[in-house]
Amino acid sequence: MLLKNTYNELLKIATKIRSYIGIGALTLLIFIVLFAMKADGKSYVGFVTASFEQTLSFNGKILNGNLIAFIIMQMLIVHVPLLIALVTGDLLSGEEASGTIRMLATKPISRTGIVLSKWIAATIYTFIMTLWLGFLSLFVAKWMFGTGDLIVLNSNGLLILPEADLAWRFGASLLVAFLALWTVATLAMAFSAFAKNSVGPIVSTMSVIILFTIIGTLDVSVFDSIKPFMFTTHMAAWRSLFDDPFPTGEIIESVVILTAHIAGLLLITLVRFNKKDITS
Amino acid sequence: MRIFLFLLGLSCLGYVNAQTADALIQSVVAKINTVNDYKAELQIKAAIPFIKVPIADATIYYKKTDKFKVESKGIAILPKQGLSDLTGFLSNTKSYSAILGEDKTINEHKTKLVSVLPSAENSEIILAKVYISPTDALIYRTVLTTKSSGTVSIDYEYNHNKQYALPSKLTFNVDIKKFKMPKSVASDIRNNDKKKKYKENEKGTIVLVFTSYEVNKGLSDAIFKED
Repeated sequence: MLLKNTYNELLKIATKIRSYIGIGALTLLIFIVLFAMKADGKSYVGFVTASFEQTLSFNGKILNGNLIAFIIMQMLIVHVPLLIALVTGDLLSGEEASGTIRMLATKPISRTGIVLSKWIAATIYTFIMTLWLGFLSLFVAKWMFGTGDLIVLNSNGLLILPEADLAWRFGASLLVAFLALWTVATLAMAFSAFAKNSVGPIVSTMSVIILFTIIGTLDVSVFDSIKPFMFTTHMAAWRSLFDDPFPTGEIIESVVILTAHIAGLLLITLVRFNKKDITS
Repeated sequence: MRIFLFLLGLSCLGYVNAQTADALIQSVVAKINTVNDYKAELQIKAAIPFIKVPIADATIYYKKTDKFKVESKGIAILPKQGLSDLTGFLSNTKSYSAILGEDKTINEHKTKLVSVLPSAENSEIILAKVYISPTDALIYRTVLTTKSSGTVSIDYEYNHNKQYALPSKLTFNVDIKKFKMPKSVASDIRNNDKKKKYKENEKGTIVLVFTSYEVNKGLSDAIFKED
C-alpha cells in the first residue's frame, strides 16, 4: 500500500506545473551560466588567478568542463533549495488547501503511511533534481568546454586537482549535496504538516535557510556553539570533497548531522500529522 | 700627475672589467646560439604559498629566436620571468651594460658575478645578477629584479647538454604577493576559522626538471601557433 501510495504521490508531483518550474528554472540557470562562461569565461578565470599573474603563469586548460561544473554547483546549491521547497512544501498543506486531505485520510493507509509515501516521493523528486543538476553541470559543461584539471577556489588559495581524481569526487559531492537538499525537502514537508496553504511552508523553509546561513557567516563567537549543529553549515559539505588532504572526519560529521536532521524532521512531521485534527 | 695616472689606471681597470663581463656573457651567448630549436619533456614541481598543485608533466618547445611554448595536459604553474626571456635579453648585447662583480662558488662551481643593467628606460628587467662559470661558460645562478614580478632567483643544474647551455634542472624562487580571493568567488562559508595569514615576502619555489632533449632536430612553426 505504501508503494502504491508513493506511486500516486509521484503522479501528483508529475502532474503539477510547479514541479516543472523547478526543473525548468534549474535548466535555464545552468544554461545562462554556461553561455556566460562561453562568452566571457576567460575574464572570470583571470579574476581568480589575478593575484598570482604578475609572478606566475598558468599553463593548460583552466576553463574546462570540470571548473564550470564546480562553479555551477557552487552557485546553485544555494538556490536549488528554493526550487525543492516549492514542491515539497506543498505536499501536505496542498492537500489541505485543495480539500482532498480528508479523502486521503479515508484511504486504507495509516497516517504514517501517507506521510512516508509523500516523503519518499519528495525524496525521489529531490534525487531527480540533484541528478539533473549533476548531468547539466558535468556532462553538458564537459561537452561544451572539454575536460581537464580542476582549480578549486577558496579563500585560503587555489587547489589544483588532477583530472583523474575528479570523477569520484564529483559523484560523492553530488550524493552529499543530495543529502543537504533532502534535509531541505524534509524541512519543507515538516512545515507543510503545520500549514493549511502552500505559501507558508515554502516561505518558512527559505526563511530558516536564510537565517541560519546569515548566522553561519557571522564571525561572532556567541554563535560558535550552535553553528556545528545547524544544517546550513553542512549544506556546503559537498565542497569538502574537493579538499586536499581529504577531510574524512568533517564529511562524516556533516553526513551524520544532515541525516539526524532528516530523521528528526520526519519524526516531527509524523507526530504532527498523526495528531492532526482533519476537518477540511 | 700621479693623480692623473691613478685615474687613468682606474678607468683602464674598469674597461678591462667591462670587457671581461661582456666576454663572459658572450661565451654563454655563443653556446646558446648553437641551439636553433629544441624540444624537451618537463616535470614541474611547485611549492607556492596559497596554491596546492600536483606535479605536472609538460613538453617544452623552443625555436630561435623567440618562439617558445609549454604544452601541458593538465594545469601547470610556471614562473612569469626567467624561463625564456633571459637568454633573449642577454643575446642582444646592445640592450644592456655589464659589470663584473665578486667571485662566488655555487654548488661547487666557481662563478663570477656579472651585473647586467638594461639600457632601455622601460625595460621589464631592472637588474640581472648572472653568476657565470668562466671554465665551462655556463650560468649557474641568476637573480632577476623585475618591475612587475619582484625578485626571481634561478639556480641552474646541467647534465648532458652542457655544450648547448641547456639545463637539466632549474629551481626558481619567486616572490608571492598577497592572495586575495573574494568570498563571492570562493563561497566556502565552512572555512571561516582556518584562514591562512599572509606573511610579508613569502617565497614560492618552482622546480623544472628537463629530460629527453631533442636539440636542433627542426621544429615546425605550426607548433607555436596559439590553439
